[in-house]
Amino acid sequence: MELSFKNVSKNYGGISAVDDITYTMEKGVYGLLGVNGAGKTSLMKMLCTVIRPTAGEITWNGEDIFRLKERYRDLLGYLPQDFGYYPNLSVSDYMMYIASIKGIRPGAARKRMKELLEMVGLSRYKNRKMKALSGGMARRVGIAQAMLNNPKILVLDEPTAGLDPSERIRFRNLISELSEDRLVLLSTHIVSDVEFIAEQILLMKDGKFFYTGTSEDLIASMGKDVWTCTVPRQDVNQYLQKYPVGNVKHVSGGAELRILSGNPPTKNAALEDATLEDAFLLYFGEKAGDENVEI
Amino acid sequence: MRMLRYEIKKFFSKTVNRAILIVVILIAAAYSFLAAGSIRYTDANGENPDGIGKIAAGRKLAADKNQWKGELTAERIADVVQSYKGLRRQYQGEVPDNEYGKTVQSYWDILNFTANVYTMEPNFLPDVIDQISEEDVNYIYDIYGDNLQKAAEEYGETSEQEEFIKEQYGKLEIPVEYEAYDSWETMPMYIQTYVIILAVVIGFMAAGIFDEEFRNHAELVFFAAKYGRSKAIRNKIAAGIITATAVYWTGVGIMTLISFGIMGTSGFHMPYQFEDPDSVYAMTQGQRYLLIVVCGYIASLLSASVTMLVTAKMRTAKVAVCIPFFMFCVMLFIARSLSDVTRVVYYTTDVLTNVLQAVKVPTLFQIGDFVILQIPFVMVLYSAVSIILLPFIYRSYSRYGLH
Repeated sequence: MELSFKNVSKNYGGISAVDDITYTMEKGVYGLLGVNGAGKTSLMKMLCTVIRPTAGEITWNGEDIFRLKERYRDLLGYLPQDFGYYPNLSVSDYMMYIASIKGIRPGAARKRMKELLEMVGLSRYKNRKMKALSGGMARRVGIAQAMLNNPKILVLDEPTAGLDPSERIRFRNLISELSEDRLVLLSTHIVSDVEFIAEQILLMKDGKFFYTGTSEDLIASMGKDVWTCTVPRQDVNQYLQKYPVGNVKHVSGGAELRILSGNPPTKNAALEDATLEDAFLLYFGEKAGDENVEI
Repeated sequence: MRMLRYEIKKFFSKTVNRAILIVVILIAAAYSFLAAGSIRYTDANGENPDGIGKIAAGRKLAADKNQWKGELTAERIADVVQSYKGLRRQYQGEVPDNEYGKTVQSYWDILNFTANVYTMEPNFLPDVIDQISEEDVNYIYDIYGDNLQKAAEEYGETSEQEEFIKEQYGKLEIPVEYEAYDSWETMPMYIQTYVIILAVVIGFMAAGIFDEEFRNHAELVFFAAKYGRSKAIRNKIAAGIITATAVYWTGVGIMTLISFGIMGTSGFHMPYQFEDPDSVYAMTQGQRYLLIVVCGYIASLLSASVTMLVTAKMRTAKVAVCIPFFMFCVMLFIARSLSDVTRVVYYTTDVLTNVLQAVKVPTLFQIGDFVILQIPFVMVLYSAVSIILLPFIYRSYSRYGLH
């Protein structure tokens, strides 16, 4: 089980969305982290044969996935970021339709649909029209459809986008359950989505992987410590300009800051355990603070 | 089959498609009643029924006219002409309504035919009857034969075409077996308008089959599925053709059933030439109706194929849904205005939905010695185009994102 990118690039006009990526994935959960516009979705679309790379090759066990065609797509489960469905179909009709285009026989499809709807907690809603589902419920159907063919490769693009915190936790647990014996590539800009379930972290920026490895290695590679300190409120801006600041919490007598720094930023600063969020902040700098980015 | 079933289910689960289907059925019903109500029947008192009574006019008129049902020999035509001439003399050329209802109405078609044989124009002029002598009537079918001969010489631009037209005229059975045919004479105008509506509507609905993936942002899951670039697309195309067929024949079937259920089916076998004496189309009134609906079906298939192809190419139905309107409505006016400039307009798509006019014009197409009438030619042409486009739809859609 080996999925490889070999010098894969994708250009739209003059803009390079994915830039010369070479990387190999095997069984396990891969967390693809990057800010919006990093090229994650383009990479995933190529992986799912929805779009073709401008250059390079993606191979599955050594064979080009675009040449494998149906044989490759048979192994694939895909939940796109912008998960669309047929609003007037019921949940069960939608699942059965997707099962049919995935080539699953009716009896097996019905059985699988029942299991999956049970797993995503939607058994009670199987006769409900897709358009009558909440955003979270629709995304749960999204993951259920991706799992219909029991895929060897599960590609989840921003699966928790737009979900409330409890649904996000539920989703994370679900993905963790599904990750056994398959390759899961999970793209997100929400660090906590992958922190505890991804065995490998891929940091993507400007169309390139600029870090690949475990989250522990990533944290260790930061070269900076994480400190918390309380500073007067009027000095907060000064600290924000001087250091990468992960968190600002107003407390009595000032503001408590979580700062990334090689040295203690203040005399009273306390050393903390670094997390993946801190690494994300460090590597993505100001963009990590965009309003679209949730840490 | 399962894929196809769900594709069709998707089609009919759309609110807009359901609404269109209901409207199409309502139009069919409304047109049927309008058609039935458009038949004029005059009773023995010279009165025309009003309101709901108009609906029964078709059957009453057929019953009245069918007293002349049977072989229309020269002797019977002579009786009719004599009767009419007598009444014209009696009333100084102005036959009153009650006399019309009592007598003339029943043989009005026969008078029309008689006048048409002499003038070779499908317009009845009472004065023409006055000019026909008793002796002339005895030779009416000989005169008709001579006039058809002249028509063949006039319409045939080559010897092959002339021969072809003569062959068509030779199929006419003489003497004519008469039967009242008002329902078959009335319905073509209504069914022709209705098939134009259906062709436009079907194009709109078929485009939605390929548009919905993009409109609902469902294309990513679709194309990433095992059969998303193969069987699933073939099933979409099949769904387009099947739903076009189902919608078309449901609409036409309902309209046909209601209309002929009200007016009756008398006159199916009446030669079309009884109405239009020099038409080169050797067919009955019923066959003309069938020709209109079959041409309408081909128009609907063409409409579905074209809109599916344009939608598959453009990833949106916005442009595609305008095309059927252009092909069957706008083209009609363009063809009419350019008919003196180029013969190309004789073979454009609007002919399929304008059979009523096309059968009146002796337009022939010739390749070498082979001669074919305009309507069969466009039928074959556009049936072939509808089928030829299907692989292109598949190709366009299956290559999404792979350029």
